[in-house]
Amino acid sequence: MPPSNYDYPGYERSGPAYWSKTALLYGGVGIGALLWSLPFWWMLLTAVSANPTGAGSSLIPAETTFANFEDLFATQPVGRWFFNTIVFAGSVTLFNLTFDSLAGYALAKVEFVGREKLFLLFVATIMVPSMVTLIPVFILLSELGWVNTYQGLIAPLIANPLGIFLLRQQFKSLPSSLGDAAKIDGCNELQTFYKVYLPLAKPALATLGIYTFVTTWKNFEWPLIIASDESMYTLPVALFAVRNQYFTEWGLVMAAATVIVLPVLVVFMSAQKYFIRGMTLSGMKG
Amino acid sequence: MSTFDGGIGSRVVGAVGSARSRLAALADRPTTENNLVGYLLVLPNVVVFSLFLLGPIAYAFVLSFQEWNLFLGTGEPAWTEVFGVRLPVANYLDTLMPLPWENDWGSIRSPSYNLWWFAVRNTVAYTAVVVPVQIVGGFLVALALDTRIRGKKVFRAAYFMPVMLSAAASGVIWRWVMAKNGVLNELLRPLGLAYPWASSPDTALAALMLIGLWGGIGFNMILYLAGLQNIPEELYEAARIDGADGWQRVRHVTWPNLRNTHFFVTVLAIIGTFQVFGIALAFAEGGPARATTTIVVLIYETAFVESSFGRAASMAFLLFAVVFVFSYYRYRIQQQQEVEY
Repeated sequence: MPPSNYDYPGYERSGPAYWSKTALLYGGVGIGALLWSLPFWWMLLTAVSANPTGAGSSLIPAETTFANFEDLFATQPVGRWFFNTIVFAGSVTLFNLTFDSLAGYALAKVEFVGREKLFLLFVATIMVPSMVTLIPVFILLSELGWVNTYQGLIAPLIANPLGIFLLRQQFKSLPSSLGDAAKIDGCNELQTFYKVYLPLAKPALATLGIYTFVTTWKNFEWPLIIASDESMYTLPVALFAVRNQYFTEWGLVMAAATVIVLPVLVVFMSAQKYFIRGMTLSGMKG
Repeated sequence: MSTFDGGIGSRVVGAVGSARSRLAALADRPTTENNLVGYLLVLPNVVVFSLFLLGPIAYAFVLSFQEWNLFLGTGEPAWTEVFGVRLPVANYLDTLMPLPWENDWGSIRSPSYNLWWFAVRNTVAYTAVVVPVQIVGGFLVALALDTRIRGKKVFRAAYFMPVMLSAAASGVIWRWVMAKNGVLNELLRPLGLAYPWASSPDTALAALMLIGLWGGIGFNMILYLAGLQNIPEELYEAARIDGADGWQRVRHVTWPNLRNTHFFVTVLAIIGTFQVFGIALAFAEGGPARATTTIVVLIYETAFVESSFGRAASMAFLLFAVVFVFSYYRYRIQQQQEVEY
């Protein structure tokens, strides 16, 4: 990290002014961070509390129990929901990586008629609110009988302007001389793509892969529309359904929330570098 | 890092770029083989884009002029008379009428006159509060974390955690935080301020704003942290030599040099808040008394609960018209974004 406004040679690190500023900084950031984490703490606490409605609980647990989790796993197909979510996020990610690296490569390295126009058309679709397209896509998929199927969940999310944009930029940044050399050595266009450029595109593939996986995993609106059968729920939709089913049994609802949130935080926080990268490049909250 | 260079810079880069691509074109012309390979490689995306984005946009437009019902299965033009002319705009008129100022601004005050305008009211109020606060908040947190502070990673993770969550999880967790016997009231009860925040129509929208800020500040913090890395150290140094104190350096160096980040963040925030949906649905399902029915919640209900697809499509296009200016800027930014690996 480069030096910043408050971090330069000769900056006075003593005296009352410095200490009061430091106290203000840590105090402000610390209290904010505590408030930000409070909902998570409250979720965990309620999940392990014995009182099913959570009424009258305090911030420190009197006694802990796993009864809520046992209830949840006994009454709900939690494993199935996990499986659905992994299939959903995993397939969307794989399709995106495959299709978008092919298209990204063609749009960056192959001179064909209408290339720039096609690229602009792909990227221009980010302007359209998702609610505009979701309605016709839902009608189309109901005609096909794809409601409550994996293909129905997965297919519409394969069209991803961000992925095309990211990978085109990546391939553009790689020197064309590499491909020229490969072609002189007798590679055709596909071999050049596969053997020379694709291995060099790993940073972009990692960024796009992790970003797509996380945003698909937490996608709420599309599975909500297309997966109306309990056996096809993904985790976010399942949590919403559990909440509507066990309206005031907050212990059980928060156990479900914990099961959904905790693995996400543990796994995804470790990959946050890539996720943040994808986020800043796309500017999509996902 | 991403940069948005809207001024002369981009035109110069553009000119150099096009000169370069003209040179490249001389060396590597679109031959028949290139055309074939190119189209083959983009074919999978052309298919999915046509089926799931481009086709549906066109179809949604047609749909917005039709009476459509999932059970009828077919669309009929939604005819209506406008000043004596028969036009298929019944969906749009049904959505927009009565106009907000009719009935003494009734639809702004109560959901019983026209739900569309009430949803617009909720969404505009949400945007008006959440956008400025999440921008200033994100900026301040980024500024605080861009110092020599210890535990930077832990603090950053704390503010960033909500961004990783599904809207469904955020909404459901906050519903319980703000419930009558939730933790918020546990904390406020000693002060005599306990209140059913989530289940009262007077406070539900404000509660939703708080959830939006919880996620939005962490999101903007990341974009501002990235922006702060692009400010050259020399500017701070020069300001120090000129005798500027810490606050003056923030005011006259940091803030103005984040112009591009401010623009990017504002555009994204407006697009995002205008389409707020998941947290509103999971938090209170548009209630109580429609207090959290935002535009997209209303579109979702109209389409997927009531199956009035034509009507919902007309609403979606009205939303599109409103956010178009901002979406267009976002598209421009995206196009001009430079990516370094």
